[in-house]
Amino acid sequence: MAGTRFHLLSTFSRQFSTLNNVSTVQPKLRIDEIRGRRMAIFDKEYKRQQALIPRLEKIEVTYEELNDEKVTLIMNKGISTPYNCAQHINEQLLKRSVVAEVNGEVWDMHRAITTDCTLKLLHMKPEDLHQATLVNKAFWRSCSFLLGAVVESTFQDEISVCLHSFPPANVRSGSFVYDVQLNLKDWVPSQNDLRQIAAAFQKFVRQDHIFQRLDVDSSVALKMFEDNAFKTEQIPHIATKSSTGRSITVYRVGDHIDISRGPMIASSSLVGRCSIPAIHKLNSKLYRFQGVALPSEIHINHFAFGILESRARKLAKSCKDT
Amino acid sequence: MVSSLAVDITPSSKAFKLFFNHEQIRTMSRVKRRTTHPPYWHVLKNNQRDDEKISSDNLRFVREVIQDKYKNKSPIKGSDLGIEKTEWDPKTKRSGVIARNIGMQHMWEKDGKKIICTVLQVLDNHVIRYVPPEEYANSVIGAKMFKNRKPLGCLVVGAEATNPDRFTRQYCSLFNEVGLLPKKRLARFIVTPNAALPPCTPLTAGHFVIGQAVDVYGKTIDYGFQGVVKRWGFKGGPASHGATKFHRRGGTIGTGRDKARVWPGQKMPGHMGSERRFNRGLKIVRINMKYNIVYVKGTVPGPTNSIVQIFDTILPRRKFTEAPPHPTYFPPEDGTLPQEDIWDSSLHVFGSPSISV
Repeated sequence: MAGTRFHLLSTFSRQFSTLNNVSTVQPKLRIDEIRGRRMAIFDKEYKRQQALIPRLEKIEVTYEELNDEKVTLIMNKGISTPYNCAQHINEQLLKRSVVAEVNGEVWDMHRAITTDCTLKLLHMKPEDLHQATLVNKAFWRSCSFLLGAVVESTFQDEISVCLHSFPPANVRSGSFVYDVQLNLKDWVPSQNDLRQIAAAFQKFVRQDHIFQRLDVDSSVALKMFEDNAFKTEQIPHIATKSSTGRSITVYRVGDHIDISRGPMIASSSLVGRCSIPAIHKLNSKLYRFQGVALPSEIHINHFAFGILESRARKLAKSCKDT
Repeated sequence: MVSSLAVDITPSSKAFKLFFNHEQIRTMSRVKRRTTHPPYWHVLKNNQRDDEKISSDNLRFVREVIQDKYKNKSPIKGSDLGIEKTEWDPKTKRSGVIARNIGMQHMWEKDGKKIICTVLQVLDNHVIRYVPPEEYANSVIGAKMFKNRKPLGCLVVGAEATNPDRFTRQYCSLFNEVGLLPKKRLARFIVTPNAALPPCTPLTAGHFVIGQAVDVYGKTIDYGFQGVVKRWGFKGGPASHGATKFHRRGGTIGTGRDKARVWPGQKMPGHMGSERRFNRGLKIVRINMKYNIVYVKGTVPGPTNSIVQIFDTILPRRKFTEAPPHPTYFPPEDGTLPQEDIWDSSLHVFGSPSISV
């Protein structure tokens, strides 16, 4: 994994070497070290949570097929995920499923099920409008997350990249968004820069990373993101809103770890064609990266995709504007 | 435009005289006659994957966007294109035209003689770009063509405008500079620099003159896999008189002694047709300016509704003696409409009093 990231850095560094408006260098830990540290904490917490399960208990999961046929599966409590359930049924379900519905609640494909439940697996082209909105929102949320992962690793080492956050998925805005703080004074991204980031995004997505979810205590989350000032500020706020009052959901995709509330898609390979049409400057240091993507199952001609891109170029305004 | 055979067998060449040498015939049937794939330097043209079903509202929106984008790029008057006034000389090579063979029609001369004509509709041709001689001589085809000759320029002409969503982005980018709707068909015409045309110039049936001779280039009718009787004209065997299972077969394929094997190029059943051919020296007998139709005396390679290219002839005794519309035809600037249907003087015009001999 480290090998590919070095490659990503080197492809982008060629472009940025001609920049002459980079502000003074601040000594900062390199991204690899930060990520390595976060991953270590993540793995440790994951193992600790797994160890809490004393013995394997069984639960009954009723999978509802499209024509209302029911299949009963006996799965392990706290370990089996909807993905494991799909493994017992059909390979097509494995490849197609984006998000699951457990007892009517939207659920990640790789999140463990804890009680007896009814299971529904949603794919990219559902007929039901409500299901379609759920899948769409999960897709856009995941794309924002992936954008953050890619942006963090595509800038040169001298430029300090601080991921701020991403607003809730808003299809009407025309693009998925990630706000990033860069210590660049007046950076006007060229067409080539945008294309490079999009290429890096495509490359990352093709590596087929699973979205691994973990619910952690806010203290663990603070330790993970101690280098990121924005996240340290946001974590207490988010924790208070959760059910227990102290837990944060954290997702891991490949080497990247970030906080996010909602369910994500099963794996990054579900994202197909993508483009980063615009990067807007919000205020003195915050840049809004905007992207538009299609699922890999859905293909439209270049002209129609061009219309989507031109729409995504407009500044996406959200209620969380800083 | 260049003959695809390894040996040039146009009537003016030496090889033409050797053609009926049997060794040569055997070599001729070895020559690679057709390729079904485009050259490696062409961009990918067609969409590789079918589009997802877009809702009808969205489809209508996409169509509106396409119309808005291209609505200002309608063909403009000749005077607005900024064409330099160049002189015509007998050595000028003008542009050709892309047309569709829409069928055959009988015509009658004034003495009652029937002639068979092919009806060719000149499609909505527009010049896409002009490649000057020095640049064209560096390209793959140009280098081969002008190896020991003075290089000429190349006009890229397109016909049949279609929606951009049918093609790939790379193919549509070929038309971005000119701002035209992407064309279904592209063709190269070798021109002398004085016959160069600026991009976006329309080419119509008026480009040609009544009575001129043209060469028509097309792909012949595809007969598919054919037997030796149809493909090579073998006689086969007797239909009756006891012939057992030998009516349309090839017969012997070698001597058995000499060389002791089947010679390469032995005529056998195989794929017939779908080859690029020229029919040279065809006379234009009628032009319809309103529908852009050219009636050409004789037959043309290819089936009905196939695309062909029409050039001014290279046959030396049928070339132009006086200047044709050079570099191409433009409607008169004083707004007078040209004559709609122009007939050759020797032809009997339909509707006029009947011929009496």
